[in-house]
Amino acid sequence: MATPFTDTAPGGAHSIRPCWSCRGPAAGDAAFCETCGVIQPPGQEDHFARLGLERRFDLDAGTIDRAYFARQRQVHPDRFARRAPREAAIAESRSVSLNAAYQTLRDPLRRATYLLELAGHPIAGDGKTIADPELLAEVMERREALAEADSPEAVAAVAADARHERVSAEAALGAAFAAGDYPAARRHATRLRYLGRLAEEARRRSAMRAA
Amino acid sequence: MAYSDKVVDHYENPRNVGTLDKSANDVGTGLVGAPACGDVMKLQIKVGAGGLIEDAKFKTFGCGSAIASSSLATEWIKGKTLEEAASIRNTEIAQHLSLPPVKIHCSVLAEDAIKAAVADYRAKQPKASEAAE
Ligand code: FES
Ligand SMILES: [Zn+2]
Repeated sequence: MATPFTDTAPGGAHSIRPCWSCRGPAAGDAAFCETCGVIQPPGQEDHFARLGLERRFDLDAGTIDRAYFARQRQVHPDRFARRAPREAAIAESRSVSLNAAYQTLRDPLRRATYLLELAGHPIAGDGKTIADPELLAEVMERREALAEADSPEAVAAVAADARHERVSAEAALGAAFAAGDYPAARRHATRLRYLGRLAEEARRRSAMRAA
Repeated sequence: MAYSDKVVDHYENPRNVGTLDKSANDVGTGLVGAPACGDVMKLQIKVGAGGLIEDAKFKTFGCGSAIASSSLATEWIKGKTLEEAASIRNTEIAQHLSLPPVKIHCSVLAEDAIKAAVADYRAKQPKASEAAE
């Protein structure tokens, strides 16, 4: 993705576009036309700008929730029940893009993945392999330990260890973003994915046992 | 999703599962991962005096297609030269196993693991590799 990356872009670039209803100028990412007050279709802004959030990793869940719900209220179908069908449809499409932004940003790992994409340091995608020996040796070791775990307690111990590692990996990820070190951030995010996969596998193992 | 008979066969009776001594000079180890799905594959080769791969082992934590791909890869590379092994394409593996399009990427892991194992072996013998080939 070629989007230029900046740490401070609250709301994104404030471009002006004509209002579809009154033809007057409307701010590129504003929900409503300043002149006639009619709802505007969602633009090309990124997920952070959509929620009016600063483009950064370090965002707490409460901040994201508040930003999302406030914007979602503005486009609630009840408010458009008596408006023109076109306005209701636009409100609906704004709601859909707010939801996509929320789903992407609410989960720290998805937020990190998205930030890395915007920064031009994407995590290896489908069909791409990595060869980081240290990380993969660790993953191998943990997966082996899980495979060899022969009691519910042993499986739980591997899972608890993975949970513990996830907490510290998330902290390291935050620090890397704060320092603007994207290669390091990508590495921590990749590791988090593997730890997540391990936890998933541990859950599957416990479920198998329980069944 | 239905796996092909060949995938099921390799998945149920994986060939050459195991580990070779990764510190041995005649062993090359390839360790690759696919972050998109969180799978990981280790493939090792033991190279004989004549420059042929005389043994291969793998350990894969991944989907059935990845396990079958690495199992098949170890079968294919035994008895081959390093060049021949490194020239195996994931598409050949995918075709042999009749992997559906959405599982093609799993065979990429096997191709890259072979290449990584060959590269690791070569890195261990900077001069001997030219002499032996
Ligand atoms: S889904 Fe990960 S290798 Fe097949
Ligand atoms: Zn207007």
